[in-house]
Formats: sequence, C-alpha cells, structure tokens
Amino acid sequence: MSEAPKVLLSTLMVLGAQSPEKALTIEEFATKLGIGVDELRPELDRLTRAGYAVTTRQEGKEKVYLTGTGVITASSAYS
Amino acid sequence: MGSQIGVFVFVEQGIVMRVFILSWEYPPRIIGGLARHVEGLSGALATQGNEVHVITLDFPGTPYEEHEGSLYIHRVPVGVPAPSFHSWVLLFNHFFEKRAGQLAHEFGAPDVIHIHDWLTVPAGVAAKHLLRSPLVMTFHSTEGSRSSNSPSAESAMVEGLEWWGSFEAARVIAVSGWMRSEVLTRLKTPGEKVDQIPNAVEPLKFDGPVDMKGARAKLGVKEGQKMIIAVGRLTPQKGFDDLIRAYPAIRRAIPESRLVVVGDGHMRAELESIAEQEHVRDGTTFAGFISDDNLVAALRSSDVVVVPSRFEPFGIVALEAMAAGVPLVVSRVGGLAEIVEDSVDGIEVEPNNPSAIAAATVRILSDSELAARLRAKGEEKAKLYSWESVAKRTLGVYHDATRGSRYE
Repeated sequence: MSEAPKVLLSTLMVLGAQSPEKALTIEEFATKLGIGVDELRPELDRLTRAGYAVTTRQEGKEKVYLTGTGVITASSAYS
Repeated sequence: MGSQIGVFVFVEQGIVMRVFILSWEYPPRIIGGLARHVEGLSGALATQGNEVHVITLDFPGTPYEEHEGSLYIHRVPVGVPAPSFHSWVLLFNHFFEKRAGQLAHEFGAPDVIHIHDWLTVPAGVAAKHLLRSPLVMTFHSTEGSRSSNSPSAESAMVEGLEWWGSFEAARVIAVSGWMRSEVLTRLKTPGEKVDQIPNAVEPLKFDGPVDMKGARAKLGVKEGQKMIIAVGRLTPQKGFDDLIRAYPAIRRAIPESRLVVVGDGHMRAELESIAEQEHVRDGTTFAGFISDDNLVAALRSSDVVVVPSRFEPFGIVALEAMAAGVPLVVSRVGGLAEIVEDSVDGIEVEPNNPSAIAAATVRILSDSELAARLRAKGEEKAKLYSWESVAKRTLGVYHDATRGSRYE
C-alpha cells in the first residue's frame, strides 16, 4: 500500500465510515481529502479490489465504507 | 477501590476483583499482539472468578456487547468524526471514558482500571480520578523505539501520553525485560514500580486435528514443497523485506519451497515489488489477513517460521510457532531474544541480515534432526507461557495497586 491508500483508509476510519449506515458519498470523501472525484476514483478502485473498502449505492448515490480488513490495515499503519 | 464493601472484602482475601480493561483492539479487531494479550488475559482473569469488563472499539459486523460468564466485552462506537488519526484517538478516549462511567453506575466502580499502551491513557487517567480506582498500565511498545525516535509532533504527543500514563499508574507492567528497560530508560519510571509479565499462548488452540494438506493448498503450497511462513503486520519494523531478499538464496538451496507471508499493512505493495525485483514473486504467497483457525492450520502445516523483525518488544508469533511445533528463525532483538534460546529452541540471527536469515532457514530445512530437536524444545518452552499464569501474576499486580490506593 503506497502513501495515498494509507491516507484514504485512515481518513475513512477517523470519519467513522465503517458500515453502510455511516458510508460517505464519493463526493464527500473526495472533498474531505481535498482532491477531485476523478483523482479519487482509481485509488478507490484499488481499495475495493484489495477488499479494504466497499462501494454501495444508496438513494441514488454511490457511497463508500471500510471493511473489517480495511479497519485493521488502516490501524496497522500506526501500531 | 470498588464501591461495594462485599467486593472490597473479597479483594482483600484475593478472591475476586472487578477490573475495567481499556484497549483499542480486541478480537476480531486484531492489529498486533496487544489484542491477543487482552483476549488471553481477560479470559483467564474471568475464568479465575474475576469480573472483567473490556472496553474497546467497535468493529464491522461485530456486536457492541458480548457477555460470557464474568467476562463482558463492550465495543464502543466513536460517534464524532475526527480530522486525523491522533485526534481520533483522543476522541475515542472520551467515548471509552463515558462507557467506563456507565459501567461503574451499572456494576459498581472497578477495583482496578488497566490500560494498554498510550492509546487509552486519557480515558484511563480520567476514569482513575473520577471513579477513585487505581490505574495499572501495560507497555507493549514505546513510541520512541517503534518510530526510531521520530522528531514529529505526533510522536511527541504519544511519548507525552506514555509518560503521563506511567506517572499516573500505581503499577506498570512491561511485557519483556527489554520493554522494562525501555520504560525505565525512556520514561524514567522508578524500577520498583515496574513488573515484568510476558505474553502467553493458548496451547489448546494448537491441539486438535488440522487439514494440513488443505491448509497448504489454500496458501499455494504444492505437495512436496517446504513451506516457509512469516506472520505479522506488513510494516518496516517486521523486516519482511529482509526475508523476501533472503528467499532467492533459500530457493537456490531448496528449490522445492514456497514463501508464505501472512498479514497485511501499508508495506504490501512495496513487498510485492521487492519479490518481483528478486525474481521470487512466483514462489511467494501474500495471503493477507486470515482467520484465527486458518492461522493455526497454516502455522502447523509449515516447515519453518521466520520472524525477521528489526524491532519486537515481545514477539508473540514466536510463542505461537513453538506451540504449533514448528522450528523457528528469529532476529536477535527485544523480547524475541528473551523467548528464544539460540540453537536450543530456535535459531537467532542478526537483524537486517538477509544472508543470515537464508543460512539459518536452509539449515533447518535441510537438517531434519535439528528441526525435530528445535521443535521438541520449542513445544516445551511454549508450555511455560500460559495465560493462567499471566493472569495470576497480573492479579498480584492489581492487588499491589489497590494496596497503595494511589488514585489521587
């Protein structure tokens, strides 16, 4: 995991996005990171492919949250 | 001390205690050895009749509350978003503190509050003063050694919390002699306040039938291949890059072999890239996180366990390997050097030395008598590290803490 996914995982964890109910929209997530959705998209795809995060569609909006593996991986960067 | 006189009497007789254990990780949230320690300790304390409340963080797909006998697990959601990891830690401490207050109202104040590492110091110190219960702190690691003395502001905060926790604690526990010396040197904690109690291993976990053929197949190990396994977080301190750099030499000597790396972390892409550069990517399995059951099966199915850490305050995986009956190669660092007796129940090598790792691994894989001897001695050694014994010794520390009644 390069520095960018580490920041992504950590940001999702500290924002509390670790369940479908607390998922962030892709736009919210990009705003929190201070980057555009286009820039976020490939990184997000890497996280979901690796099983660290899940994207879901709720009320017509694409949202993202961390899996258990994502929580552990995010935490392991600080332990 | 506990608010109920009955509990007080029991405590004085050494019969039962109510303990609040604060930990940011508890299974299935397993970041490192700390989760294993809290699980083993809390389970054994409860088995010995104590009332144990573990206050920990919530985890996807896991219930907030669990209760078995006198062991209570309280998983706390963090209801407020934070801008960074370190501010998030401070925030979750507020939620831990709130849960400790609720539990004290529901069950009575604890006889002891036990915190683990810097991550729960603010909640532990606050609970100590609010509930007038003595604090015990266990050090599994220190920021200075973990971060190689990073000068960052975040490290300064963590080191400050470590000092604060050790100062407020009535008793301090270090998980190894090396860790004790770190606490004495870095935090200037008085030696008479610091006890050394190791981690342990649950031997029953490593008994019972295991489908070794199935376990090896799941990890990409073919029939007839020697399986070399390394387990842990994929972080620089674990030294897995050295093991991957050692693997070409191992494979030249033992062509029918496979390297299996179990765990995940922020170095994964880098380690995969090193395996490519060393032309051993095709012989290496990066298994990611695996379940406890699968880990036991993987360890028991392997031919050698390598722990190539650069920094290891304890090294619980070495004990697990011994309990699983697998010969070990470990770096001569920290707690690992205390657990393993070189050439008796494992082979020690200097850290940061791929050639030494390769030589020791090949030695074990090509000398079945040596492997059998190390295996037998390792199994004997693992039996000395039981959670039952750790819990009894920790209870002794709790009693010392209550006798001092140092909550002010």
